[in-house]
Amino acid sequence: MLIDEMKYITPEISLLCFALLIVVVDLFVTRKGVLPILSVIGALVAAFFTVGLWGNGGISAFNNMIAIDQFGLFFKLLILASLVLVVMASNKYVLKFEKFQGEYYAVLMLSAIGLMLLVSAVNLITIYVSLELSSISLYALVSFLKDKASSEAGLKYLILGAVASAILLYGMALTFGLTGSTGLTAIADYFRTSSTASPLLLTGLVLIIAGFGFKIASVPFQLWVPDVYEGAPTPITAYLSVASKAAGFAVITRILMTAFGQPDWLHAEWAIIIAVLAALTMTVGNVTALVQTNIKRLFGYSSIAQAGYLMVGLAAMGMATQGNADIRSGIIFFLFSYTLTNLGAFIAIIAISNKIDSDQIADYTGMGKRSPLLAGALTLFLVSLTGLPPTAGLIAKIYIFNGAVDQGLLWLVVIAVINSVISAFYYFRVVKVMWMGEPASQDKVTSSWPEWTALAVCCIMVVIIGVAPGAFVGLTQAAVKMFGI
Amino acid sequence: MMFSVGLDHYLILSAILFCIGLVGVITQRNVIKLIMCLEIMLNAVNITLIAFSQYITPTLLTGQIFAIFVMVVAAAEVAVGIAIVFSIYRSRESVDMENFNILKW
Amino acid sequence: MLEQFGYVGIFLLIATGFTVLIPLLPKLFKLMGLIPGKKTAAKLVQYECGMQTIGKTWVQFNFRYYYFAVLFVLLDMLTIFLYPWAVNIKDLGVGGLVAVGIFLVILAVGYIYAWRKGALQWK
Repeated sequence: MLIDEMKYITPEISLLCFALLIVVVDLFVTRKGVLPILSVIGALVAAFFTVGLWGNGGISAFNNMIAIDQFGLFFKLLILASLVLVVMASNKYVLKFEKFQGEYYAVLMLSAIGLMLLVSAVNLITIYVSLELSSISLYALVSFLKDKASSEAGLKYLILGAVASAILLYGMALTFGLTGSTGLTAIADYFRTSSTASPLLLTGLVLIIAGFGFKIASVPFQLWVPDVYEGAPTPITAYLSVASKAAGFAVITRILMTAFGQPDWLHAEWAIIIAVLAALTMTVGNVTALVQTNIKRLFGYSSIAQAGYLMVGLAAMGMATQGNADIRSGIIFFLFSYTLTNLGAFIAIIAISNKIDSDQIADYTGMGKRSPLLAGALTLFLVSLTGLPPTAGLIAKIYIFNGAVDQGLLWLVVIAVINSVISAFYYFRVVKVMWMGEPASQDKVTSSWPEWTALAVCCIMVVIIGVAPGAFVGLTQAAVKMFGI
Repeated sequence: MMFSVGLDHYLILSAILFCIGLVGVITQRNVIKLIMCLEIMLNAVNITLIAFSQYITPTLLTGQIFAIFVMVVAAAEVAVGIAIVFSIYRSRESVDMENFNILKW
Repeated sequence: MLEQFGYVGIFLLIATGFTVLIPLLPKLFKLMGLIPGKKTAAKLVQYECGMQTIGKTWVQFNFRYYYFAVLFVLLDMLTIFLYPWAVNIKDLGVGGLVAVGIFLVILAVGYIYAWRKGALQWK
């Protein structure tokens, strides 16, 4: 019954209620300080409902449209956490939007709803609609500053995103036509009974991988990343680089595992495509990052490279025979630690850019003297992104590369390790600029308490995961439970 | 020989339309035309979906429902797209893609 | 299949014939001497709505139309979802009613927003 099943999407419904409430409150209330509080409360209520559904492993609702499994619930919590952190970090930044602050929070929450539905969708229709809900909200958010760079970034993101979603949709249409169903489990049933796939169906699979390749920024669909990251408002860049990417990886993992994971000939087919793309993605991301002068652009290329490491995990997942949960938990763990690290780095960047109003790496000179705490935190996150101890990044990389070596992808792991070494050059260039040079001015760089809190949360988590990963590994191993496998 | 219109013809038509749209997106400079080409791509997919729905699963309406959702999403996408074009036009007085070149490398 | 397309072909023929025939009718009547062929200024004016047109045809539309167009698109999309529901209203029952109610509330918030922001005003 439709109404009885409503309880499975309570997190999304409650978040939607708060988003609508913010729109209305914004119209009638002049004190805008209440809006971020409302959106944080909304996210916490949604998180509460999500935790309430935990343990409800592996059921589907609404005629196999949405699955309630630990995999999806974990990612919902991750998305909500990044929503809260982004809202806290944009506390000062929103002053740039003047009278459009309410819209900013509301649209941000709408995109979070889209991503939350995306990670639990098990039907091509739901996947497409929730993907577009999140994407369209993000197009609007990217062009929110309305200056030249921001609207140009928004337009580029919109056009490339729309092309990618059209390609994805074409792939979905072909898959639907040849298997006769849009449900992921029904598609899996079709493959179980067939020994070969028609070329058209493989075309559909490749088009789907291409469409999501855009979302996760893999080569050759990575061209939008640096431009959009540079032009977008910085909190949105942070949000794009973590929540959107995490949800993209979650849904591609789900599609590949649930729908295309069954007979051995099929998953070997896509594993090799992804392995090659992973090698290219890492290399392109890291090598181009070496010459960047803008910190947001640098992080754009860095996030492409990180997507490459994650794709190593995806490729290993395809190489493995059915039911290798360890590799999946490696991907989830990497996404978890990457989300906290990258978000933390961006919060530090937001705090610094609020003061110096520049994103050039050269302007970070002497930041260690102007604000030791911010510079120290940013250094910690850069160390974690490089993958050095004692941080989360190291554990995540070991976890994911270990799984890949087990599946005979040694060549890919060698490339990945070489790439990690290359990445140290540009990450540590920023560190060197911050601590070595003489500052241009003696002004202290300070920031507000919500930013400090968000930054502190990220710092503590990154170090804890790096020092004592045991509990978190347990959490991610619980989160591999997926509907239909 | 009796000639009849079957699934193949719809698929070929939609593939051709999709390619026309894709080529348009790649070559057009005017943003408005570019958005129209995007619409062509989405409509090509709609033809595929409805043809499959008619020939492969005649008793189910999955493909047609999918097509309805695609139409709605396309409308939303265009509304946001045109709004972004508006804001970009206000600052630059141009809708030519060649002029949108602040962000590169 | 082909027979069904045959109807379309016949329709196409009639449509083309009709369009060609109508402009030719006055010429035919003139040849037959049924109507006088006198050209007056009023006859040569392009038919708009019975009035003389004011200004050029290629005027730019007011920018404000854009907001109305976007709001109209929203309303249009509303009907796309309401139709399938209205056709199956009995089978879908209370659940369907609630779902459509939620849908309408979301849209209503959008309209309240547009109204309060002044997008419906012609300034």
